[in-house]
Amino acid sequence: MAPRRLQRLGPWLALLAAGLGLTACSDPSANQPINLAQGVPVGAVLALTGNANVYGQDQRTGLNLALAAINGSGGINGKPMALRLEDGGSDEPAANAAFTLQINRGVLALVGPTLSQQAFSADPIAQRRGVPVVAPSNTATGIPQIGHFISRVSAQSSVIAPLSIGKALALQPSIKRAAVFFAQDDAYSTAETVIFQKALTAKGLKPVTVQRTQLNDQDFQNQITAALQQKPDLIVLSLQAMDGGNLIRQLRELGYTGMIVVGNGMNTPNIYPICQRYCDGILIAQAYSPELATPANRAFLKAFQANQGGASATPPQLTAQAFTALQVVGEALKRLDAKTPLTTLTVAQARTALMAEILKGQYQTPLGTINFTPEGEVIQKQFFVAQVKMNPDGRAGRFALLP
Amino acid sequence: MDTTLLQQMLLGALLGISVYLPLRCGQLSLATPGFYAIGGTVAALLSTRIPALGGDGVSYPISSVLLEMALAAMVTGILALGIGKVVLRLRGIYLAISTIALVEILRVVSLNLSFTGGAIGIFGIPQPFASPEGYVGFTSLLLAVVCWLCDRLERTRPGLAMAAIREDELAAASQGINTANTKLLAFVLSALVAGVTGVIAAHFLNSWNARMGNFDASITTLAFVVFGGTRTWLGPVIGGLVLTALPELLRPVGDLRLIVYGLVILMGPVLFPQGVITPERLSRWSRMLRQRLRLEAPTP
Repeated sequence: MAPRRLQRLGPWLALLAAGLGLTACSDPSANQPINLAQGVPVGAVLALTGNANVYGQDQRTGLNLALAAINGSGGINGKPMALRLEDGGSDEPAANAAFTLQINRGVLALVGPTLSQQAFSADPIAQRRGVPVVAPSNTATGIPQIGHFISRVSAQSSVIAPLSIGKALALQPSIKRAAVFFAQDDAYSTAETVIFQKALTAKGLKPVTVQRTQLNDQDFQNQITAALQQKPDLIVLSLQAMDGGNLIRQLRELGYTGMIVVGNGMNTPNIYPICQRYCDGILIAQAYSPELATPANRAFLKAFQANQGGASATPPQLTAQAFTALQVVGEALKRLDAKTPLTTLTVAQARTALMAEILKGQYQTPLGTINFTPEGEVIQKQFFVAQVKMNPDGRAGRFALLP
Repeated sequence: MDTTLLQQMLLGALLGISVYLPLRCGQLSLATPGFYAIGGTVAALLSTRIPALGGDGVSYPISSVLLEMALAAMVTGILALGIGKVVLRLRGIYLAISTIALVEILRVVSLNLSFTGGAIGIFGIPQPFASPEGYVGFTSLLLAVVCWLCDRLERTRPGLAMAAIREDELAAASQGINTANTKLLAFVLSALVAGVTGVIAAHFLNSWNARMGNFDASITTLAFVVFGGTRTWLGPVIGGLVLTALPELLRPVGDLRLIVYGLVILMGPVLFPQGVITPERLSRWSRMLRQRLRLEAPTP
């Protein structure tokens, strides 16, 4: 009887033992010296798969350009920067796994994650383990407030979003009836629409209708029909690139000819293949202008054009922000290394000192001159509004800055 | 292997068991993510809104987590009892559809209630353990208890009745088995496991929102069982562990990793129609193991 019983218990005892055994042997210590064999280790976690991959692709370009710029000008005081890029997917568990993987590898700082929704889940991991995070694209309220180690170079939507409404009214003062769309199951979208609606009300344009969609929706005929019955002459969208692009296409196909203002979620040239010629004319507020005449932006623009399809190409905002995030980490590392050489620090000491250094500095970036509040919120001076101009073939276009 | 991944694997295994329990009765229920989301929401609400549960404020006490688990089990149990009475009258694909509807209803309700935080959800959930190791220890223990209970269940009258219903419901009923109650028992047990798993997941993931329990999660958890096998509890456990780990272990493959993952899910049922783990295969393996041990043992 006894052996039979043991045999029965066997599998789950083995499972428990395996679990506890693995627990015991996987504690990567932060109290080791920094592994500089491959270069100064820095990590990035971007959405390269899932529905947010349209942003991750732009961001990857920015990181690669920044890495080339840093290592092309002597690296971190002679040592190259070694950037490890991991896919953080488009949901929370994938971002958490990628953050943990990078931290266990001993990176000194992290750039990412792509979505605000992911940041609320993954940033606390970095905060607990004392790893500096510079977010290149999180715009929701409350991100730097997650903790001391969390900062961002992407200005929050409450600062930028109202600008495009003002511009729409300046272009067409006769606007009287605004309709609002947002994806009710998306953190970015629900946060930004509140800001848009406040801005509209402040301008005396209380929305005549507010339509809710879902992030993974493809067909918006119901919501569009309901909205068009209210005869709006301004439509404001807080949607991500995929659903937003489809909605614009369907809006135009169903006969809407008025002004369209969109939020930061559609701030990427990757919307061109989705709404094609119908993208033409939409207004988007920008945290980046390719026309900014500073040495930092000219160098970035030149590198982008040499790398990506010719002299007329203009970098998307997400690319410029990702470039900026890695540039901030690189410059802070240089200053830290000049004060206390990285070879004399443990990983944990370097991470803490690096965070203090990131917050202290002032940076000449493609976004203009930026610095941080003690909390880690970016302080940026200039913002812009762009209008999408599509080529006659409807395949490609550009974000033309409005004066 | 890193501990965060191990923790996600253990959560996957628990969700696998939750899908497996009704399937053992031949009932294809996809309601697991719905109950998982309820468990997580209960934990997120209690731990962020009720200061008394926070203890001394340094780290979140385990006793509070256990209390959340008890409450989550109660809420999901009562809900499953009420809903199960109605939906378990349906069979096969109709039951699957109605449970998908349940998951969708719960998701949309949670999106539109202000106290669950809408789309942003609830964040800043306190941590009962300082490191993932603590979570792994706690979850391993829970998984071991659940596995032991499943093992007992499979050998006792209700479990045997479940197997009988899976093989032939009419024949089982003619032998005096109360099929309605047995199916309800399996459904409620499934909800309890999912609810309790949600409590741990909410703490582990730091934030909780309506997207945690959606249709995608229904399909992913179903894949755990289809891959692992529906004949014994070890199947969904192995399925949950392997399929949760695979996308992370495939990171060296780069951009191809999700394609390889899809291929594995596809090839599983093609090569092992009954799932990777079946009782027959298990007993064959244990026979082989015993033989090998006997061969290697020194002759007296």
